[in-house]
Amino acid sequence: MSRETQDPSAPPSGAGGAVPDLPPDDGPETGDDGAHLVRADLLTGLILLVLGIAVVWMSWEMPRLEARRIHPATVPGLVPGLLGIALAICGMILAARSVRVADDGAGWRRFGAAFLSTSAARVVVAMVLALGYALVLVGRLPFWAASAVFVLVFILVFERVFSASPHPLWRTVLTAGLQAVIVGVAVSVVFEAGFLVRLP
Amino acid sequence: MLEGLALLGDGLAHFMTLGSLFNVLWATLLGIVIGLLPGLTATMGVALLVTLTYPMAPDQAILSLMCLYVGAIYGGSRTAILLAIPGTPASAATTLDGHPLALSGKGGLAMGLATTSSALGTMVGILCLVLLAPLLTEVALNFGSYEFFWLALFGVVISGRLTAFDDPVKGYVAGILGLLVAMIGMEGLHGFRRFTFGMPALGGGIDLIPAMVGAFGLAEILVVMKRKVAGRVVDASDRVVPRIRDVWRYRRTTVRSGVIGTFVGIVPGVGEDIGAWGSYAAAKRKSAEADRFGKGSLEGLIAAETGNSAAIPGSMIPTLTLALPGSAAAAVLIAAMYIHGIRPGPMLLVENAPFLYQVVAMLLLATLAILVLGLMLTRVLLRVMTIPRERLMPVVYVLCVVGSFAIAQRMFDIYVMLAFGIIGFFLREMRYPMAPLVMGIILGTLLDVNLRRGLALSNGDLTPFFTRPVSAVICGLVVLSILFSIPVIQRFVTRLFIKDRGAPTGGG
Repeated sequence: MSRETQDPSAPPSGAGGAVPDLPPDDGPETGDDGAHLVRADLLTGLILLVLGIAVVWMSWEMPRLEARRIHPATVPGLVPGLLGIALAICGMILAARSVRVADDGAGWRRFGAAFLSTSAARVVVAMVLALGYALVLVGRLPFWAASAVFVLVFILVFERVFSASPHPLWRTVLTAGLQAVIVGVAVSVVFEAGFLVRLP
Repeated sequence: MLEGLALLGDGLAHFMTLGSLFNVLWATLLGIVIGLLPGLTATMGVALLVTLTYPMAPDQAILSLMCLYVGAIYGGSRTAILLAIPGTPASAATTLDGHPLALSGKGGLAMGLATTSSALGTMVGILCLVLLAPLLTEVALNFGSYEFFWLALFGVVISGRLTAFDDPVKGYVAGILGLLVAMIGMEGLHGFRRFTFGMPALGGGIDLIPAMVGAFGLAEILVVMKRKVAGRVVDASDRVVPRIRDVWRYRRTTVRSGVIGTFVGIVPGVGEDIGAWGSYAAAKRKSAEADRFGKGSLEGLIAAETGNSAAIPGSMIPTLTLALPGSAAAAVLIAAMYIHGIRPGPMLLVENAPFLYQVVAMLLLATLAILVLGLMLTRVLLRVMTIPRERLMPVVYVLCVVGSFAIAQRMFDIYVMLAFGIIGFFLREMRYPMAPLVMGIILGTLLDVNLRRGLALSNGDLTPFFTRPVSAVICGLVVLSILFSIPVIQRFVTRLFIKDRGAPTGGG
């Protein structure tokens, strides 16, 4: 990996989008954060390479609009094509760099382990709930009911299944149910009456 | 100059109505709350609020968004101090000294100084905004297609270079992906539909707001839910309102951090988080008590909080004068301005000069509001911080779904939000920065149209892109920042400097 020669006072991990990794997870994936990422880079590098080539090909196939007598340097496929090339190059660099790091098998094992931890399970559940709500419930149920069901299930799953010391069941169900109905009704009323949005 | 002051007075007077002040209060308070809650960032808050401000008058809508932005960047400091989790990425540097201060029983002092520093930082930034924006506008009025092409490319490249966690290539990849997203839909020169795969909904392109709600909302929710343990709030019972003496003692740090923060803010797509880190690093280098940094140094806390707040007005400089977003949240603000019929760019001062000064007035009002609210509402805000994420995140997600749907009232935008959320989450987990992606989406059209228009104007000749003076300079910057991300060249240059001066130079 290309570690930049940085000022020692600079942040350990640079800064950017996400909240820097705070309370360390005790899963196997945080033993050495770099190792599983190296293998992830190989995969994403290859995906980006393929994507880049696909974009270049599609841009090449784009009509050149000769019939409209446009200037040949202004064809619609010009910029996407250049971007595709750039993406393919970046993908190649990522993949090549990952290959260069000697692999003793630990990289792939860590990479796989990252998908089997509790954290991964939490993410998958959150993702499934989020998708189920937006793709299945919304549009089928009235919006307030869909939202209420989602909020209720979300709270129940994370407070019951993933919690080390859950409250008594009746209490969770009661408070979560109350919150779910309030949120569902409030959001619907505010948007439909206040902002005149026709909710799905 | 005098004319500027008069316009500024007009701008302030413009918002001296009960309705406006009410908007300032609720928007700033909402901003602080959003900033406080880990998982809710300024960018996402602004993106969601765009939907809610849709029916408002343009000036009031932008006022609310701006107040929310300032409030959120400030609000993050409180969580950083008491919980050791940055409420927004911008306050990551604040945790280093803020949390040790809270642990040693000085939580109140830390919160107070964070508040005054944020206010002072914004003031420094506002001063620079007033001075620099008209100058930059004058220069920018001479820009043609060639310059705008380079500016757009520069925005994406520098953002990719500087916001990447450890690997600039990942920053560039994020930028390129953003630019490719912008290619989807009808292109601006010949009206040809690119990459629509026969789907009519894609013809209009991908809207920035649902994409941002996904990348900064859903993705962030997933990141928050992934963590197993939540932090514990440290109790802070000492005096919150800081003494003037404490503030005055660190005036040099404040001014330096403010200027650094502002200039970091000016750099396209590089925002508050880097502003904080930059001024923190500079303060540490200059400080007499450098060894205290990271162990509860007031100076470090002040530097970080001044730096991130100063970056907000700083980021408005390119945003207003060039339509080149100075930060990720500013990109969403640009989208909001277009929705409300305000066109940022070099023509803004010509067509709509009062607006620049209205923005200045908005920032001033927001600064006042964070001072008042931040120093008064410590207890209430503490309660907000303890809302469990299991209860909060599903509500936030419902708002993400409604928010992305409401603007155009079509399901397609919800799908966009979902796609960006899930892809954004995986990119984030693999340490790709999100800011260049945003820059790419918003600058893609500018880059595409101006490159091809420039080529048409020069009849296919590339030389004007390199020979016009401003073009040449920006082109040089682009090439340099790409070259500097190649490790071999970087090492070579570093060695060169060590030989020349006998000591390594600190980058800042």
